[in-house]
Amino acid sequence: MGESPEAASGGAFARAWAKALWGTSYLPMTQAQLEGLLQRLTDLLAQTLRTEPLDLRVGHRVATELVAAHIASAEALGRTLEVIQLRLIRDLDLAGDDVSDRMARLLAAVATGYARALRDRTLDEQESIRRAAMTARAEAELALRASEARFRHQATHDPLTDLPNRTLFAERLAAAVDAAAGGGRRVGLCFLDLDRFKRINDSYGHQIGDRALVAAARRLSRAVEPHLVARLGGDAFVILVERSTGTGDVVAVAEAALAALAEPVLVDGHDVTITGSVGIVERRAADSSPDDLMRAAGSTLNWAKTAGGARWALYDAERDDQEQARQALSAAIPTGLERGEFFLDYQPLASLHDGSLLGVEALVRWRHPQLGVLRPDTFIGLAEETGLIVPLGGWVLAEACREAVGWTAATTRPPYVSVNLAVRQVRRPGLVQEVRALLRRTGLPPDRLQLEITESTMMSGAEEPVRALRTLADLGVRIAIDDFGTGYSNLAYLRDLPVTELKVAGEFVRGLRAPEAADERILASLVSLAHALNLTVTAEGVETGGQADRLRAIGCDAGQGWHFGRPAPAENILARVKEGAPC
Amino acid sequence: MQRPDWAPETIDVERPSVARMYDYYLGGSHNFAVDRAAAQAMVAAVPEAPLMAQANRAFLRRAVQYLTAAGIRQFLDIGSGIPTVGNVHEIAQRHAPDSRVVYVDVDPVAVAHSREILAGNDSATVVQEDLRHPERILAHPDVRAMIDFDQPVAVLVVAVLHFVPDDDRPAEVLRALRAALAPGSYLVLSQASDDGRDEAERAEAEQVYRRTDSPLWVRSRAELTGFFDGFELIEPGVVWVPQWRPETPESAEDAERAVFLGGVGRLGG
Ligand SMILES: C[S@@+](CC[C@H](N)C(=O)[O-])C[C@H]1O[C@@H](n2cnc3c(N)ncnc32)[C@H](O)[C@@H]1O
Repeated sequence: MGESPEAASGGAFARAWAKALWGTSYLPMTQAQLEGLLQRLTDLLAQTLRTEPLDLRVGHRVATELVAAHIASAEALGRTLEVIQLRLIRDLDLAGDDVSDRMARLLAAVATGYARALRDRTLDEQESIRRAAMTARAEAELALRASEARFRHQATHDPLTDLPNRTLFAERLAAAVDAAAGGGRRVGLCFLDLDRFKRINDSYGHQIGDRALVAAARRLSRAVEPHLVARLGGDAFVILVERSTGTGDVVAVAEAALAALAEPVLVDGHDVTITGSVGIVERRAADSSPDDLMRAAGSTLNWAKTAGGARWALYDAERDDQEQARQALSAAIPTGLERGEFFLDYQPLASLHDGSLLGVEALVRWRHPQLGVLRPDTFIGLAEETGLIVPLGGWVLAEACREAVGWTAATTRPPYVSVNLAVRQVRRPGLVQEVRALLRRTGLPPDRLQLEITESTMMSGAEEPVRALRTLADLGVRIAIDDFGTGYSNLAYLRDLPVTELKVAGEFVRGLRAPEAADERILASLVSLAHALNLTVTAEGVETGGQADRLRAIGCDAGQGWHFGRPAPAENILARVKEGAPC
Repeated sequence: MQRPDWAPETIDVERPSVARMYDYYLGGSHNFAVDRAAAQAMVAAVPEAPLMAQANRAFLRRAVQYLTAAGIRQFLDIGSGIPTVGNVHEIAQRHAPDSRVVYVDVDPVAVAHSREILAGNDSATVVQEDLRHPERILAHPDVRAMIDFDQPVAVLVVAVLHFVPDDDRPAEVLRALRAALAPGSYLVLSQASDDGRDEAERAEAEQVYRRTDSPLWVRSRAELTGFFDGFELIEPGVVWVPQWRPETPESAEDAERAVFLGGVGRLGG
């Protein structure tokens, strides 16, 4: 073609065609490229119109090529048909007998081919964008699920050890209890805690402590597989034993866990030895709730720890009940104080020389709203453990002083009141002020107050309590050593202490039944030693007249016990004094 | 469970997407009924909208041809859209087969579609990211694998900036991109402008785009020129896109009707 006249006139046609197509849709090519393409198609059309028979497939081919070149819109078809119809015959000088007839058939072929190609293209594009949307949605859902899974993992796992955390454990425990309850099956828990783990942190630093924790966690979960191990925080772990067949199963798990910990862990060149304690609970799921199980396992763990650690302990309902009752009781002390549920009884301290009433020991009682009147041995120990002894003892002291003042008018020689002081009370810095303020407020003469302390209080060697007691003694307050003879009974230290009286423990007195018994000789030398140190001696637990006689014979100054009178309200004792009855 | 902020969004094809509306303007069928409805509303408000899109796409083509001729072989096309016709890798690789192209788009459907189109093409890839996080784009492993930032790169931000409002600090975004580029790199920008346009028309167009996830934020020539800060503008500067190195003088006629302003800048040194 090139320089042929048809080509030259074809060039004008192709340019007109290109111009007609402008703006119909985006044509991703330069003007020159477009004109080049249309020129080729023009030549094809011209060739076809000149050739006999008319090859309609060319019409289809031209249309398909247009659409393939992205000249693909309804407008482009309309304009193409228009340009060809109006200009092709004239521009290319294609006149002939039946040319308009042939042209109509060719145009029909172009239009048909174009519509078909356009529809196919549209359908293909629709399909591809739909597929893309589906892919995108599937990807987004996957990503969402992955992120949810990741989020869920983070929410349910401990970041340090990657063990399940308390949340997940609680879920699994609840599910396990639920599932087992129906079938009457059993579940078990091992509550494990590393012994003195704080020491590891303190001596190697937290980083090594953390690594040791991670190592311990890994060993634990491997050792007790497939049971669930969770970290509850700090150095506390818990193992869930589902489908237990009996205590033995869970004990075996606990032993495996302890054995896994026993090997030293090498962290950063440090051989770190970790031991653990385990509290084991195992029972029918139907008999318990997850909370109960956890609480029981926690208490049991405490038993293992107080027994020295590096061991397991098995839950014991009786012991737990007792502990719980004790706990409830100690928790009720503050309210009891507030509501005035405590009161004092007094037990006489009588002279062994003339039977007169020298003093009374204040003994606290608790009128518990449910349990009735409780004796001090049921709650004083508790109060000492929890520190509640400080307010309780303070109340006893104040109440005793208050009541004792009232006795002054009742008798000519009013008895002193003897009050027990717990170790914690003596060690408290404010003791001297407290007593001084009390004496001032009540007006009780100092020598009518006796403070009873135990040997062990004084044995602690601390300076402060001794100084406080000396100040009180200087005020005129009597200081007695209670239960003497049950502890170290170190007489040497008594020399330096501001003590006025020794109260000898009842055990020695009980031994007095047999004549010339060892106890009697011990007591006799005790009494003479005490007298040498200028101390008076009161014997506790005197139950019979015989005992009283012997004590008198030994030279003991005073006695206390059933023989002289049981603890009773102050009025009763004072009434007896007034009646002149010997104690 | 509350969705944490790093959890991905879900795909919503019930909302018109600017990528698919743009495809519709260009004559494509990669779009859904919602997209077509929005695009038709736009055409009702601004009848030349399809012509504008075509003019913008043609500007992109000429710019890529220019850059390929200038020796650029690496392209980072941000806001690349649905690969309809005349994609950057097709244009560049026709002239320079060793050209490498990374497409970036926020639209997950556009990205999925691109991925399908590019399957088997080792020198072009697509990542789903947001222009407003240039640091993430620059650090993306797929971007790093395809583009060597020690060599010149052409960054294309074509017909995208009008989806980034001033609050999202487009100038800072461009500065961050510029900082990653070697001397001899290029920046290609185009965006819709309201210079010389009717106020009511702009308001209607903005109304339409408020239905999408990408509201429209038109800017003046001065603002667009400002975005080339640090680059030397290639002749003829920031112009109506048909006026940017037209193939024939006629094709630049009535250029302001194109609504899009565009330009190409070169990083000196
Ligand atoms: C009008 S299209 C432009 C396509 C192509 N650049 C062109 O000019 O032919 C705009 C594209 O930018 C995308 N886009 C909008 N905002 C974006 C953002 N913040 N980051 C990345 N892409 C964005 C849209 O999804 C859409 O695909």
